[in-house]
Amino acid sequence: MSETTDKLINALRGAVNEVMGTMAWCEAIAAGEKVVNSLILDDEVGGMIHVGGDVSAMVGISCNKRIAAELCSRIVGLPAEELNDEDLLDGVAELANMICGAMKSKAAVGHLDLSSPAAIVGQQFQAQWKTLHKTHILAFELEGERFCVHLSA
Amino acid sequence: MRVLIVDDSSVMRKIVTRGLRQAGFKIDEILEAGDGQKALEVLAGGAKVDLILSDWNMPNMDGLTLVKEVRKKDTDTPIVMVTTEGGEGKVNEAMTSGANGHIKKPFTPDTLQATLGKYF
Repeated sequence: MSETTDKLINALRGAVNEVMGTMAWCEAIAAGEKVVNSLILDDEVGGMIHVGGDVSAMVGISCNKRIAAELCSRIVGLPAEELNDEDLLDGVAELANMICGAMKSKAAVGHLDLSSPAAIVGQQFQAQWKTLHKTHILAFELEGERFCVHLSA
Repeated sequence: MRVLIVDDSSVMRKIVTRGLRQAGFKIDEILEAGDGQKALEVLAGGAKVDLILSDWNMPNMDGLTLVKEVRKKDTDTPIVMVTTEGGEGKVNEAMTSGANGHIKKPFTPDTLQATLGKYF
């Protein structure tokens, strides 16, 4: 792992904790990490941001619809059952945005440009990209449910 | 107070609204706009606001351009950027253009109080 990637991963761990603590009012428990050669997103919900500038990377979040609704409910302050798919899309995109923004602040690896976030909500989809190298997947648990944050660099 | 929240994310507009209430601000009315252009339309329609909170990256018209456009006619209303763009250069650019402050996402109600309390 390069020094820059190491810094980004460390920053990402801290970013998830910061965003969960300050915006979702909860503590996400670290639940394992792994490195894969090719990332295929096949959860029901995914949010992604491209990182450009001095580093080229892709950062995202993926989870099932229940945990996405729980997280969005927490950050918005509305009951999960009142959130529609558009709220989920928007909420997951914002989560990805805030996590990536916090990572950028913590990493101190030069100038980073963040794209606008993209989000996918649905079933039976796969998202894959091959232009980047290994993907680091950080798993977290929240109320018995698992969500993943990933960085491809 | 009357607040105009400018952000292309409806969820983020709700988050900011909730944060303002949790920070203890007495909110009489929240006006919302999805981008800088819509914000200018809201203001051009005669809406009087005590505070403008704006995201940076938005379609059609970004937050920095909004600041510059508002300041052509209004030099008094506080404008605070609420954004993931936390770099010193970006913040300085916003302040030079007429923004009064900057709040980095993620934020807490205490952060809102500390930054906005000086205006109210």
